[in-house]
Amino acid sequence: MRVWMLRRLLQIVPTVLMITFVVFVMMQSIPGDPVVALLGDAYTEEDAIKVREAYGLDQPVLVQYFIWLGKLVRGDWGASILTGRPVLNDVLVRLPVTLELIVLSMAVALAIAIPASIIGALRQNTWADYTATSVAMVGVSIPEFFIGVLLLLLFSFGLGGLLPSSGWVYLPGTCPTMVCGVSFWGNLQHVLMPALALGVGRAALLTRLLRASMLEVVRSEYVTTARAKGLAERPVVLKHAFKNALIPTVTVMGLQVGFLIGGAIVVETLFAMPGLGTFGIDAIIARDYQQVQGFALITAFAFVIINLLVDLTYTFLDPRIRYA
Amino acid sequence: MATPISGGSGSVREVELPRVAGVAWPTRAARSETPFAQGVRRLRRSTTALFGVAIVAVLILVAVFADVLAPESPTASDQTQTFAVPSWEHPLGTDQLGRDMLSRVIHGTRISLLVGVSSVLLALFVGVPLGMIAGYHGGRVDTVVMRTMDLILAFPIYLLAIILMVMFTPTAGLIGTMKVTGAIAIVRIPIYARLVRGSVLSIKEKEYIEACRALGLRTPWILFRHVLPNCLAPIIVTTTLGIATSIIVEATLSFLGLGTQPPTPSWGWDLKANVAFIQANAWLSLFPGLAIFVTVLGFNLFGDGLRDALDPRLK
Repeated sequence: MRVWMLRRLLQIVPTVLMITFVVFVMMQSIPGDPVVALLGDAYTEEDAIKVREAYGLDQPVLVQYFIWLGKLVRGDWGASILTGRPVLNDVLVRLPVTLELIVLSMAVALAIAIPASIIGALRQNTWADYTATSVAMVGVSIPEFFIGVLLLLLFSFGLGGLLPSSGWVYLPGTCPTMVCGVSFWGNLQHVLMPALALGVGRAALLTRLLRASMLEVVRSEYVTTARAKGLAERPVVLKHAFKNALIPTVTVMGLQVGFLIGGAIVVETLFAMPGLGTFGIDAIIARDYQQVQGFALITAFAFVIINLLVDLTYTFLDPRIRYA
Repeated sequence: MATPISGGSGSVREVELPRVAGVAWPTRAARSETPFAQGVRRLRRSTTALFGVAIVAVLILVAVFADVLAPESPTASDQTQTFAVPSWEHPLGTDQLGRDMLSRVIHGTRISLLVGVSSVLLALFVGVPLGMIAGYHGGRVDTVVMRTMDLILAFPIYLLAIILMVMFTPTAGLIGTMKVTGAIAIVRIPIYARLVRGSVLSIKEKEYIEACRALGLRTPWILFRHVLPNCLAPIIVTTTLGIATSIIVEATLSFLGLGTQPPTPSWGWDLKANVAFIQANAWLSLFPGLAIFVTVLGFNLFGDGLRDALDPRLK
């Protein structure tokens, strides 16, 4: 197991390197460069050359990538071309916002999906099951931003401004500057709608997957055996059936991370949240190469780590699965 | 070694079987129905699937006859009629440029369906042959193809799609639509390559393929005539559900300002543009959003129905 962990952790390195390299090459292949955006319309070619030299933009792409990598291993993520701020600082400031959004949205998703799928599977073809499956079907068909718009209409504008439509209030202890709103209650108000917008779609998908695998599992012989030996319904469902039904679901959830990142970008844009999603999309559109690299690095890393966690979850869900 | 059977179609031809006195070969009608007919019969039994088919059919009609159905041009702005509330003249109201929202929603169907269907077909036409070749040949070909596919899959899908769109620089009109189609197709190619490769790996070990090879049939013929039809069911299901996903990806890219550019009407873009005025003019964001929802729902219902009908194992 320890060897396996070590090997998996080592595999992270080439994957992350590859993703950041491809992103680097792709970003650099876009015609024009951010220098024009930095200098504004009235600039001389000499100025532009000077700035390009200062940021190493006159070097070949491959050289630039290795310069970036060389700095990275020394803990320097580079500085934004447009603002001059260190990329690592920006990423660290914005990471907690996105983490909070994603963790809460997953919590929302699980809180809805687990009971809905269990009820759906145990009472197959009853009105409760039909309701759960129909709502889930609707849920997987609505894009996150439309759920967000509906929530905005309901809670921000419909119910007399019950929840704020945009912006952010930091959790105590996470405020990056001296001048930001800090309170638990304010934070909750700001994160509630984005977390719901992102979580509802995941909940629908999870419900469908879990219900399908639960249906398969509850018909298996060991569940009949568990019932036959007089076990109460609750441990039968939760310990025997549900745990095994989770295995295929966990796989799909791992594959869904790519969509979750897209969802975070969209939801953060809609609710104007200062998270990594808005950071990434702004950087890509402004072609701030260093910021894009920072974003690609942290996304690739998250992607790989989550997939590693998925593999580790298998061993917990099914002790027969062992990694040597 | 399997016995070679003459005839190229993989099924046994009746003429080559020895006749037994008193035993008649069943007529065509009496034989068991083809898998396709079986699938259609199962699909017709499912109300939800038929509902999905109906939605998709209506949407295709709306897209084809958009010019006839839309009361006005989707790009004609009337500055005296900005932010008109829904009325008989403008059933869905007008936007900040005084453009008729109903006409924009109707014309938006074209972009949505065009991108959704063509990106999936493009991914299909590239991914399926790649997967078949990789799976059938194995060895180095397999390694090269599948590592390339893994490279694309290693990316979070939206990160890749967004960067591709920035690379292509989004524009309006048909060219702009083709760029979005291309970006989404690239992201989706590995899905088909993997799916098909997996099926081919098991199919190529079957005896009827060995029989084909023993008959000296050419590899492309074996692949398309004998291997492909046998992995069609999961491909069809994935394609239908894939259209739904592609439509959501298109709407999301448009929402982020990276889809087909205005003045070409696109649901995602219209929704985003009108979010700014949502407080006073809620309906403006509502209709493009509803349109996306109904379209995706249609393809999802249809795809679900197809899955149950064609491949019960996939349930």
